[in-house]
Amino acid sequence: MRWLGAALVVVAAATMIAGVADLPVHGTPDAPIHRHVGAHYLEHGVAETGMRNMVTAVLLVYRGFDTFLEVVVIFTALVAVLALPRGAAESGPARVVSTAGSTGATASDTDAVGTQRADVPVSPVVFFVVRLIAPFIAIFALASLYRGHITPGGGFQSAAIFGALFIALALVFGRERVARLVPVPARVWLQAVGPVLFALVAFVGWCLTGAFLGYPAEAAAHAVREAMVVTLEVGIAVGGAVILAQLFMVMEG
Amino acid sequence: MVLFGLDLDYAACVVLFCLGLYMLVAKSNLLKKVLGLNVMETAVFAFIVTAGMVEGGDPPTLGSGTSPPYASPIPHAMVLTGIVVAVSVTAVALALIAQIHAHYGTIEVDELKELP
Amino acid sequence: MSVPWATPLPLATLLPWLVVLPLVGAALVPIVAVGRPRRAGRFTLLVVLLTVAVAAGLVWHLHVMGPFSVSLGGWAAPYGIELRFDRFGAWTLPLAGLFAFVVPFSWRYLDGTLPPERWAVFYALLLLNLGGLLGFSVTGDLFNLFVAMEVVSLSSYALVAVAGRGVAAWAALKYLLLGAVSSLLVLFAVGLLFTLTGSLNLLDVTIRLAAGGPSPAATLALASLVVAFMVKAALFPLHVWLPDAHAIAPSPVSAVLSGLVVKVGIVGLLRVLQLAAGSGVPLEVFSQVLMLLGAVAIVMGAFLAIFQDDIKLMLAYSTISNIGYIVLGLGLASPFALIGGSVHVFNHALIKVTLFLAAGSIIHQTGFRTLSDLRGVARVMPQTSAAMAIGAVSIVGLPPTAGFVCKWYIALGAFEAGQSGYGFALVFGALFIFVYYVRMLNAFYFQQPVRPEVAAAREPPWSMRGPVLVLAALCLIMGILGGIPLAFVEPAVTDLLLSMGR
Repeated sequence: MRWLGAALVVVAAATMIAGVADLPVHGTPDAPIHRHVGAHYLEHGVAETGMRNMVTAVLLVYRGFDTFLEVVVIFTALVAVLALPRGAAESGPARVVSTAGSTGATASDTDAVGTQRADVPVSPVVFFVVRLIAPFIAIFALASLYRGHITPGGGFQSAAIFGALFIALALVFGRERVARLVPVPARVWLQAVGPVLFALVAFVGWCLTGAFLGYPAEAAAHAVREAMVVTLEVGIAVGGAVILAQLFMVMEG
Repeated sequence: MVLFGLDLDYAACVVLFCLGLYMLVAKSNLLKKVLGLNVMETAVFAFIVTAGMVEGGDPPTLGSGTSPPYASPIPHAMVLTGIVVAVSVTAVALALIAQIHAHYGTIEVDELKELP
Repeated sequence: MSVPWATPLPLATLLPWLVVLPLVGAALVPIVAVGRPRRAGRFTLLVVLLTVAVAAGLVWHLHVMGPFSVSLGGWAAPYGIELRFDRFGAWTLPLAGLFAFVVPFSWRYLDGTLPPERWAVFYALLLLNLGGLLGFSVTGDLFNLFVAMEVVSLSSYALVAVAGRGVAAWAALKYLLLGAVSSLLVLFAVGLLFTLTGSLNLLDVTIRLAAGGPSPAATLALASLVVAFMVKAALFPLHVWLPDAHAIAPSPVSAVLSGLVVKVGIVGLLRVLQLAAGSGVPLEVFSQVLMLLGAVAIVMGAFLAIFQDDIKLMLAYSTISNIGYIVLGLGLASPFALIGGSVHVFNHALIKVTLFLAAGSIIHQTGFRTLSDLRGVARVMPQTSAAMAIGAVSIVGLPPTAGFVCKWYIALGAFEAGQSGYGFALVFGALFIFVYYVRMLNAFYFQQPVRPEVAAAREPPWSMRGPVLVLAALCLIMGILGGIPLAFVEPAVTDLLLSMGR
């Protein structure tokens, strides 16, 4: 298998390099990639969207449908993980593999699989540092969300930071305590926030401008545009954060 | 950086992609396969972002102390979406590996193939 | 601000909602089903029916006004994302329609297969799958294509493993690893094409590639796309993930996977053909490769199906064989072949869903999956067996069923293009297919039951039986009413061939 893999990889590398060698050298400002659509966004983006961060403008305004599908993808991941059977009780009896050397699968390991594992003991240094920094991480995530249309940042970034914060807290404080941050009855609602808010904002845009996810273009409608963008960002951030937190909580073993 | 007419940054992305592919194909441990997949994904993202950069350019956040030339914003948006997709695929893969482990007690392909 | 309700609502602007409805529905299913799991199935059917209604409206608009496109957000392509509803887009109506049969079938089927806590997420996954398939079919943007494909793929991986134990997870993981590599190839190709042309809109990229002339980078991008879609379509030799995944999945899922999700690969290959047209990339090489692989798939899939005892494995290999037919039609690229291939996309979907749902009924009622165990089942389950017989006859391609039209067209196309060798491969394949379905029908009808559970089985409840019987009737009718899909496909194919310069 290794030789087959190596041969496949060499062939793939050769073909790909041969093709890629034909591309214009990266970084040249007059390559096709920087003209046409990209140039249009950089030139007219601020005027057309009211945002200074062109990446967020592309994500939420010009290519908002892609972002909607992206939110749906991460939701799909959560639903997929929730749908799969969890733990040894549902997956059937765990079979102990006799060649214990390679996997180290001893009887105690397979017994532990599927049962709630006791959290790993944490050193006091880690405990202290995480407790100290946690609020600042949260503020940073919020700032990332708030400033997302001006500086680098935005919904997904903030969702990722919140998610990472959640995981750090769970590792330090234990899962049961931290799981209460996302109360069980609220989970089905919060995880749906991303796609649903997106569809709502798109619907509002449709009513206002006749185009799906259309932003009203008049200068007087500036507040409406801001509101739509903020709603989308918050939806992405909250939905994404809850989904990441749930993914961590759900996966066992 | 161009060496012998070959754009080294692009070539590095291709090499990384192929290293990830080798990990995916040749390693027997399922987790390592998933890691190989992640390396491949990173390579493609690096390729896309590299393609969008401009020599001496600034990030495409206009007005906050940046000046033209700007890097193209579209590759950044593509990669952001791509990262979310990669995370989702990894999550599902890990859940499947957990299910396999719960049932078989192993995540080595060699041993899985021998089981009835 | 223009308010659309003051003027008659242009039907075309419903196009994005075709995709958004099932996706938002999926997000709402877990909420709706809190505490009452059965509500999940009913709500899902409601969402699917709404989607079918929207699709019907759009197809009617297509029929009356011709192909149309919608620029999302009001940003004209290529600065925004464009959704295009051309004549191939009429495929979305049967796509959604078939889901409308699969969902009620699942209501009782899930009783023994999944614990009630997981019903809501199962239906959510089905809706996500539907939304992704619709998004993939109507988008005119390369990157949108990628993300929609990922929605379909992720939900498919999970649906394969949802009801099983380690075996199902292992099949799903193999599917995932191969599928994720193919998705990466698509992303890589999209990145290459964007670097070459500066645009992500399919039409725009086609024009710019054609203007740029032949280049190794463009060839690499198109080759990556072809390989990626070969994996998705399970075309030989990248078909290895399909038999296990489709056989192990719960039957409604197998129906969706074999009937609809593999067509993602076909639609993808079609998009590649459209992209490559006029770009200077040698199409002949692609066509030859597709024809050869298609022919091998036809014969190999059918041959391997003969030796399968498990009916779902047999049906899975049959899918591989039929994908070979469609790809052969694509590769021949002559008018008859393309028409036959495109209509077969629809016909195979209908027939495979029928067969898998009928097989699922039999498995659910008897508890057995293999031909040797299921002998004589036609005596106790006459209606379901009749449905399977109709499906078998359709897929073998006997007139006047639906399958006959497509295979006849593809064979004609082969001889018309001067590739008679492929025509014979087609005939051989048909013979093999005939053999294994005869095997199956012989076991069901003409042999004595060996298992007491089979002898004691009864027909399934109506929520399972009804969809199967209606689908079987449709298989019969579509043979007679074959003109309807043809009316959409023929102009689409003519346009495609024109754009390809033939």
